[in-house]
Amino acid sequence: MKPEQTFFDDPALDRAFGVVMALAQEVWVLRDRVRAMEAQLAGHGVLQIEKLNEEPGGDERAAEREAFVAHLMQSLRGEQQSKGMP
Amino acid sequence: MIDGRSFAAGQAFLLSVKSHWTRVIYPAVRDEFESGKRLEDSTLYRYFCWLERHLQRFKYSGRYGLQPYHAQDRARLEASLAEAEVELREGMEFPEYYTAIDIHQHPGGVWSDPIAGFVYERGARSTTPLAGARHKDLHERLTAAALDGRPAPARILDMACGFGKSTRPFYEALPGAEVEAIDFSAPCLRLAARDAQRAGARNVHFRQRDAAATGYPDASFDLVTSTMLLHELPPKAVERTLAETARVLRPGGRMVHLDFLPNDDAFDRLIHFGHSRRNNEPFMEPLARMDLAGLLGRLGFRNIEIRPFEEADGTLAPGYRYWRFPWALISAER
Repeated sequence: MKPEQTFFDDPALDRAFGVVMALAQEVWVLRDRVRAMEAQLAGHGVLQIEKLNEEPGGDERAAEREAFVAHLMQSLRGEQQSKGMP
Repeated sequence: MIDGRSFAAGQAFLLSVKSHWTRVIYPAVRDEFESGKRLEDSTLYRYFCWLERHLQRFKYSGRYGLQPYHAQDRARLEASLAEAEVELREGMEFPEYYTAIDIHQHPGGVWSDPIAGFVYERGARSTTPLAGARHKDLHERLTAAALDGRPAPARILDMACGFGKSTRPFYEALPGAEVEAIDFSAPCLRLAARDAQRAGARNVHFRQRDAAATGYPDASFDLVTSTMLLHELPPKAVERTLAETARVLRPGGRMVHLDFLPNDDAFDRLIHFGHSRRNNEPFMEPLARMDLAGLLGRLGFRNIEIRPFEEADGTLAPGYRYWRFPWALISAER
């Protein structure tokens, strides 16, 4: 296959923006599915949408979120995680 | 496996991004150009170009792309074409320009995969997010323009009919006319014929033929039409196709070809020729540089008219600022 067309000075940006758009598309596909599930569950009386939408009383998923963020940000420090070559 | 809901959501996302590109990013790029900024120095223009190319790639080949979505349903789709009555040419040889590039970034082109017609048909439903209101779709508008105020043609030829979207308004509006529809693509012809049969049409025939050498007798049509054919042809093939148009029209018959011709505006030409490259449609620029009126005159046509075509309400109004194709109606009488 031929190399893809590029539009930025650094082709890394062309490729990275493709990753961003692919993720954005996945986010929308997931959001659409969650909304559809909510509507079906509410329709069957399994889910109370108003209750779901309320601001939670406490931080229900704090530890889980901290771990998610730590994993997300880990690469930014640029540190090897195993003893290896420079 | 791509489920139907995810496919629809993934494609709708792409169309919303394209719509934003059409209504917000394109006018902003134009503003930069008109303020004297060099587009090579514009970051926004880089994103404009990137999105034009890659939204189309996502649409056809991406995670929720038309090709993988239809391919997983291949057996059922192919079986549904078995009923189609269509004249095909075994081992037909295609010109090099037709097979060298996958037009519109459709993987394999519109001809090589038996399900290509379905992929193309679904993709064509969301080609151009139109900002204007639509009382009639593009093809109905062309049919209206072709038939406007004239005696109804008895025999019509639709060149490069694809999956039949351009043919349908003719065979439906004129049930007494005989409509011949030709194309290179067997997968598209099969879908066109299947859908015409399902619609109960008995006045249309689909045949696999070259628009530049149709095989019909001289002077055998009252109207010859095409939609988005000429810009897909190199200039020599445009010349042969228009000469063939002249040959098969009876004296007094009319040709109406709908295509893209940018005006003299530097920005419009830059955008149009850039689209040509970014969307794998290499002959838009050569077509725009041809002297079509002169060619038609040499071929013996008269009342030659090349004018902008309003594909949706308001798109030719002064001050319309959104992206659009430079639609043009090229008509003449034999």
